[in-house]
Amino acid sequence: MFVLLALHLVVGVSIIASGRILGRRAFLVAAIPALAMCAYALTRAGGVLDGDPVTESYTWISGLDLAIDLRLDAFALAMVALVSGVGLLICLYSLGYFADDHDGHDDHDGDDDQSIADGGSPEPPPAVGRLAGVMVLFAGSMLGVVLTDHLIALFIFWELTSVTSFLLIGNDDRQPRARVAANQAIFITGGGGLVLLAGLILIGQSGGTYLLSELAADPPSGGMVNAGLVCVLIGAFTKSAQAPFSSWLPMAMVAPTPISAYLHSATMVKAGVYLVARLAPIFAVDGVWRPLVLVVGAVTMLIGGLRSLRQHDLKLLLAYGTVSQLGFMMLLFGAGDFHIAEAGIVLLLAHAAFKAALFMVVGIVDHTLGTRDVRHIGRLGRGWRPVLIVGVVSAASMAGLPPLLGFISKEKALDGYLEHADFGGGTAVLIVIVIASVFTFAYSARFVLGLFGMFRDPATAPHAADDVPAGHAPSVAFWLPAAVLAVFTVVAGVAPVIIDRLVEAATVALYPSSEPKPVELWAGFTVALALSLLIIGVGVALTLARSPVEEWQRRSSKLLAPLPSGEDGFVAVLTGITVVARRLTATLQNGSLPIYVAVIVLVAILAPLTGFITEFDSLPDWFDTPAHVAIVAVITAAALGASIVHHRIAAALMLGAVGYAMAGLYVAQGAPDLALTQFSIETLSTVLFVLVLRFLPRTWRVRAPALTTPLRLLVCATVGVGVFVFAIVSSTSRSDVDAPSMSEEMIEAAEPEGKGHNVVNIILVDFRGWDTMGEITVLVVAAVGAVSLARPGRRRDDDEAPVFEEELDALDEPIDDGAEAEEVWG
Amino acid sequence: MNDFIPLVVIVPLLGAALCVVAARSRRVQRVVSLVALSSNVITAILLLVEVDDEGILVSQAGGWRVPIGITLTVDRLSAVMLVVSSLMLISVMVYAIGLGDEEQRFSAFHPIYLALAAGVSASFVTGDLFNLFVAFEMMLVASYVLLTLGGRRAQVRSGMTYVIISLIASTFFVTALALLYASTGTVNMAELADRIPDLPDGVRLGFSLLLVVVFGIKAGVFPLYFWLPDSYPTAPGAITAVFAGLLTKVGVYAIIRSQTLLFPPDDRQGSLLLVIAALTMVVGVLGALAQDDMRRILSFHVISQIGYMIFGLALFSLAGIAGAVFYVVHHIAVKTSLFLVAGLVEFRTGSGRLSNVGGLVRSAPAVALLFAFPALSLAGLPPFSGFIAKFALVDAGIDDGAYLVVVASLVASLLTVMSMTKIWLAVFWGDAEAASVDRRLRASRSPLLMSIATGFVVAISLALIVYADPVYDYAERAATELLEPAQYVEAVLGGDDR
Repeated sequence: MFVLLALHLVVGVSIIASGRILGRRAFLVAAIPALAMCAYALTRAGGVLDGDPVTESYTWISGLDLAIDLRLDAFALAMVALVSGVGLLICLYSLGYFADDHDGHDDHDGDDDQSIADGGSPEPPPAVGRLAGVMVLFAGSMLGVVLTDHLIALFIFWELTSVTSFLLIGNDDRQPRARVAANQAIFITGGGGLVLLAGLILIGQSGGTYLLSELAADPPSGGMVNAGLVCVLIGAFTKSAQAPFSSWLPMAMVAPTPISAYLHSATMVKAGVYLVARLAPIFAVDGVWRPLVLVVGAVTMLIGGLRSLRQHDLKLLLAYGTVSQLGFMMLLFGAGDFHIAEAGIVLLLAHAAFKAALFMVVGIVDHTLGTRDVRHIGRLGRGWRPVLIVGVVSAASMAGLPPLLGFISKEKALDGYLEHADFGGGTAVLIVIVIASVFTFAYSARFVLGLFGMFRDPATAPHAADDVPAGHAPSVAFWLPAAVLAVFTVVAGVAPVIIDRLVEAATVALYPSSEPKPVELWAGFTVALALSLLIIGVGVALTLARSPVEEWQRRSSKLLAPLPSGEDGFVAVLTGITVVARRLTATLQNGSLPIYVAVIVLVAILAPLTGFITEFDSLPDWFDTPAHVAIVAVITAAALGASIVHHRIAAALMLGAVGYAMAGLYVAQGAPDLALTQFSIETLSTVLFVLVLRFLPRTWRVRAPALTTPLRLLVCATVGVGVFVFAIVSSTSRSDVDAPSMSEEMIEAAEPEGKGHNVVNIILVDFRGWDTMGEITVLVVAAVGAVSLARPGRRRDDDEAPVFEEELDALDEPIDDGAEAEEVWG
Repeated sequence: MNDFIPLVVIVPLLGAALCVVAARSRRVQRVVSLVALSSNVITAILLLVEVDDEGILVSQAGGWRVPIGITLTVDRLSAVMLVVSSLMLISVMVYAIGLGDEEQRFSAFHPIYLALAAGVSASFVTGDLFNLFVAFEMMLVASYVLLTLGGRRAQVRSGMTYVIISLIASTFFVTALALLYASTGTVNMAELADRIPDLPDGVRLGFSLLLVVVFGIKAGVFPLYFWLPDSYPTAPGAITAVFAGLLTKVGVYAIIRSQTLLFPPDDRQGSLLLVIAALTMVVGVLGALAQDDMRRILSFHVISQIGYMIFGLALFSLAGIAGAVFYVVHHIAVKTSLFLVAGLVEFRTGSGRLSNVGGLVRSAPAVALLFAFPALSLAGLPPFSGFIAKFALVDAGIDDGAYLVVVASLVASLLTVMSMTKIWLAVFWGDAEAASVDRRLRASRSPLLMSIATGFVVAISLALIVYADPVYDYAERAATELLEPAQYVEAVLGGDDR
């Protein structure tokens, strides 16, 4: 199986790389991995259906318990059949879809009849090839999701489907709507994915394993597991477009139709359902699972059906229908009962067949007529008969009409909830299913009527011809893949025995101790049958009375308009985040150096102070000699002065005074060599200061000095007092450490080992020569940097760069910033 | 092998000296630079192999014993930092040569770049806190110069912020050193580790916090990061990549080193660091969302991801620190490559502003690919290195019950996805805009050398997927070592006849 997944990767990447050359033939290449996977699944089907799963394992990171454990059991086999089987048909269909169309540009809303211009670019963009390549990568990821037994590996593939579907949805990237749709899809599914990750880790840590098979054998429970399950379900809901996360799915319809057919019938959106199906047998009985899944599923099924009913765009109609059906599947798989889950498996197969076929039909209509708005579709000519038949059969299966597969799945679902829902709310769910199924019938009918041109509105469809010319009919190759699916729908409906074994084995794979009922078309005169008839009857009535219903819908939707829809919610969240981000950043990152410095300095003092202050219990003598008092007075006065004056030279001189007074302090302490060094440094830096400051304005503006000056003094005082406390406390705690200081050992070693009398020299050139080497480097680099920054006129050839004087102006600016900042403080 | 340790500092410094002498010949400078930097790669790899087999390596600079001389040590953390940083330094140098620009216009470029390399290496190998200060200074002064090398108005302006805040950090660092020396009588890290436990509680707490703040400024954590997004984006093309990839990580390294080695377990600032980590992650990524320039977005992400590293450290568990080490390694490669790609985009289109560019997926598919991998990795999407790192941290966080920080990290992760798709949508999708081109940068095709250098760094981050198992194992061993500082102390002090 690893080989097959790798094949998807290799083929996908090579198609992307050679997309330009291949053009639409890329889809032929893309069919290879799907075909290989189907062939592999068939060869293994016998053993797998007998309950003997195929496993393969690869340890990725043993330290993190990350492994890719593949496990092909019967349920996975059913999913593989969907992913690769439908995938194969989609590839063939794409050949027709992208014929004489090198950019897949046909996708636009029904309301917007202008075809998106190709831009007439001289070379055809590789979009079709890229699309095929990414689709193969997507198929590989999806196979990974359904084949792994390891939850984190499942997550890895899960996220890969999000990323690849982002690329697929946004494939026509020059169309703004495609970009927005892709962005929304990845935001919602990506966000859900992160929640899912947290949930999986919570479950994995409580269960001590990430393997589904081991979790099933020994299910963990408790608060952490419940929290984890909520997270996992949120992840699954986002992926499977459940309320309130469903908005991305209809928007994703901007993708080329083959992609929509693939992603939204058989694959991507089923990932969430798949995960729920896998976990329900383990966790449904416990805690939050059932209420959460059933409520969300029920709401989604109803809302999706209702919204589908008011669409004019056939593709959107199908999209909302998909949302509804996904809710239905959640209800079936989430219940955690094998009878009901069995219905879910049948529905999974039925839905893939009819929904993919319906999408293909819409694609054919759209591609040939240039519209998929029911108000623009006229009567279709003779050549269209096969397409119409496929459409009708598939829609009938969707509506749940016998003798089609969709009927069987609905029948089984009703029967499951009637007979086996021995948990609270089962009846309520049953009622929801019945009502929503009426909607399903109604939108299926709407689809068929639309396809037959019954909604054509000459007023809004100026250029739709009354009848489509016969020569314009789609080719056989174009509709054949859809026809294959329709044939499956019929055959599996009439003779369900062909899927019986798969469904049974898949049910057992999910619920090992179950004894599923056979899949059959005629189960006798049961209550479920009566309900089915009721659904059909009300559905027909609803369809006949569609004008008043539409009117009612229009009014109720107006009524509901003030309520936020999912899409609005997304936009609101996105805007909210951006606004918060901008405001916060504008406040924090205000560009004012004085504010930055003040914040940093205060943090640097106040945080350590919380520690040091607790040990601050005794003050040493304030001074040894009266000279100290005088010197400290000078230092304090000069420092205060430096922080108050707004005259550059004066400020520099005051800083110099602080330095000289410090040197005086060294003299008073009996360190003349240090004092001498300090004197020379102060002299030199004061001279340099004055030399540079000559070029700058003499003063700088200060706005609101009455406020900023005290603040500045406060910050300075905090630093002074803080460091004073640090110094007192750290030197008094020296007595707690019973070990000699470095300096003592250095003094001892200086003569015998360093061969010198001056300890400082020995330290600098010998003991700590490594430091000195670094400091020399610092000086050299600073010198080289100063030269290269200040060399006048060094870029005469570059007219954009400033000349020397301008640079000095630039140097001045941050200080002006200071003024601005002080305004902020005010 | 122990005697090889100083080479990682001395060789680049010698190279720098040669480059100053050979200022007139760019070719000689290039050869010298590349030789010196490759020598560092080789030395670093040798050291890593050795330290992983034999345990902590110790060398006394100039042969002077502890405590009068300066100790140089390489443990697993230092070794991996050396390897990754030397790989980045040489890749970026190759890229800079390909880009030309500053590298061609200023003969000072090579010597200063090598001094920066020496400073970075020196920070990783030193076992002496004062020498760490010196190493920081080497690194910082070189970075001041590189930042302002172009001499453009914005560079000088933001250089000012950078210089002043860095100097303040240095001042606090020196103050901390003086205070530490005053209370313990040593600046040798192993001796400090030995003596600090004897200090009173409040003093230990104070020192711990002071060092967190000092290194936090360099690392760019909340609320000390303001200088970073203002200065990084203005640095010359290739240089930003090194700044963003390496410099802040030296700060992170110093936080990890000081917190694990110097302070006994009770004094480690776990919960405080967790709060800092959460705020850094979220505030950083929100900052990124507010930007509309590639480099500015990426700069804010640097901050956000520093938060993740601090998160791992703050758990002070084996899994947490191993995750942090893995995260640092991943981040350096990914961040460097993203900035290099930003440079490629600017090189092709003349602008990094999202509104000025577009459609590169068609006009430059290779650049799109080079962006896609590290971007997905940065966003933490599987199976890229960022996912492994994030998974390791989230797993460790949940294991420790640090749920709030886990939530913060996941939120930050989603917002990272958002800002990466924002770049993707604006730069690589859509129609190409008529860009206003900085003439100096205008070109029709990325020179091969830049793309190769970028591709090499991207390949390193991709290799982390394939070799995730050995790398994570190594990170775990490094974490084990960090959590048992006695090993370090013994390696430095034990063998000594004092």
